[in-house]
Amino acid sequence: MSATLSSNVEARVRVSQTRRLHPDRLLVHLILLFWCLISIFPLLWMMGVSLKPVTEPIGGLGSMIPQRVTLTNFERVSTLMPLARNTLNSLIVATFGTLTTVFLCALGGFAFAKYNFPGKNFLFYLLIATMLIPPEAGIVPTFMIMRGLGWINNYLSLIVPRAATAIGIFYMRQYISSFPNEVMEQARLDGCSEFRIFWNMVLPVVFPALAAWATLAFIARWNDFMYPLLFMTSKNMFTLMVAISKLPVSESLSTPWPIIMAGSVIAVFPLILIYLLMQRFQVSGLQLGAVKG
Amino acid sequence: MTHNGTLKRMWKYRFAYAFISPFYILFLIFGLFPILWSFYLTFHNWNGLSPMRWVGLQNYQALLRDSTFHEALRNTIIYWIVDVVFILSLALIFASLLHNNWLKGRKVYRVVLFLPYVTATVAIGLVFNMVFDYNSGLINSILTSLGLNRVPWLNSTEFSKVPVMILNIWRVMPWYMLIMFSGLLAINPEYYEAATVDGANPIQKLFYITIPSLAPILFFCFLTETIESFRIFTEPYILTGGGPGASSLSIVLYLYQNGFMIFKMGYASTIAYALTFILLVISAGQIILLRKQSNLIEES
Repeated sequence: MSATLSSNVEARVRVSQTRRLHPDRLLVHLILLFWCLISIFPLLWMMGVSLKPVTEPIGGLGSMIPQRVTLTNFERVSTLMPLARNTLNSLIVATFGTLTTVFLCALGGFAFAKYNFPGKNFLFYLLIATMLIPPEAGIVPTFMIMRGLGWINNYLSLIVPRAATAIGIFYMRQYISSFPNEVMEQARLDGCSEFRIFWNMVLPVVFPALAAWATLAFIARWNDFMYPLLFMTSKNMFTLMVAISKLPVSESLSTPWPIIMAGSVIAVFPLILIYLLMQRFQVSGLQLGAVKG
Repeated sequence: MTHNGTLKRMWKYRFAYAFISPFYILFLIFGLFPILWSFYLTFHNWNGLSPMRWVGLQNYQALLRDSTFHEALRNTIIYWIVDVVFILSLALIFASLLHNNWLKGRKVYRVVLFLPYVTATVAIGLVFNMVFDYNSGLINSILTSLGLNRVPWLNSTEFSKVPVMILNIWRVMPWYMLIMFSGLLAINPEYYEAATVDGANPIQKLFYITIPSLAPILFFCFLTETIESFRIFTEPYILTGGGPGASSLSIVLYLYQNGFMIFKMGYASTIAYALTFILLVISAGQIILLRKQSNLIEES
């Protein structure tokens, strides 16, 4: 009797705890909100300053909020760099870089996941081992190769070398390995070629993983800095990142910060928009059982 | 006979080799070939235009005596340790917080917390240049309003590494948070329910369920972030240019300066080889350690 009574009371206490916001839970929300603020603060700052006239002072927290909103900084940044051309360059490099890498990584991952060809294990370990070598190891000769190929100031130098990446093949293999073998067997009996199986059956099924990988690849290409800095030497071929890195920053009060922030906004916000549109694929795609081994 | 069989199977699977070939072909041309050429360059002095001059081991000897390289190496090790500690522990904390299934709005949190990874290091580096500025920066104006002294964040040898590390931690943490979060989703929720019934607190759950279950993922994160943080380049390039002096110089930035600003390509290749050697030693050490540990677990 007393036992049921006390459990009854406990249950009631538990119910009331879940109804009110538990102090622990409030703390979790506060921590998360705090870090959200830290995460978006530089973006808000960038946005705020880019809308200020150059003459407004910059200093404390209040300088984030422009007293007079103006869009002239966005016009003036295009006098410092060929803005439209730089944006186009970034778009071309990121788009074609992403398409090639998604296609070739999925194709390679598919072969590793679904066929038992001789030497497969060796080739796969070799692929993993290449990830341990920093790409900078051969950066000087890579530049020479690009010069020899005539790929300096050419989009190909930023698209081709990383068209198939080890990490991408690794991810895709994990994801595609769960694709049912029976379906492939049936398709083979119906006379499908192996590439047709990949293209018509596997790709549509692994679409969430492709979208997740494409988003990450696009982010990496768009934000890439060292390679475009090395391989693009003429102003018209700079990507946005290289172009804004060359804006006149100096340790003095004469730096036209609102104009530089306008350049940064143009470099950052299109990508955020794309990310927000694509983010619904993110976890489902990355769930991959990703890093099992 | 068996050899013949292998060849037959290889012919049967020729399409599979074709599917994986792009990676290996690209690796041969843009990976292996430059790495070997780079090794050849370490024995030469070359400015990229005039003929190469054989110098034997002089580049290696110079590297061992080069105090700037030593400082770059020391800085990079500091970047590595601080970044790995902060990035991985913050990532684990935030992934665990997001994993609470009572959490309302977790999707919104996840998206907002991931935003730093989406933004470009270069652009945020420019914001940091403003925020950490000595005279008109936000951080110093907050410090002075609290009655504290201004700190020369970007132009003193004591502090120049700090903004570099903050920028790196801020931007990279969400990536590992996401990897760990997707790992947490794979853990059987019954473990946590059983622990709750037994009265375990969140810290105990973290150490007795989350960390052991995530061990392979945590190892993967540790290994990849080690390689990534040794390759740090953009942050010091944008924020300090490696200075003042060499106080925030990283190995890759020093490599860039030698190879592409003063065109000492042989010496730059030697720096690249030193970096590769260090990373291979660290990776091998980590993998051997992991092997030993997993053997111990299997034996027990």
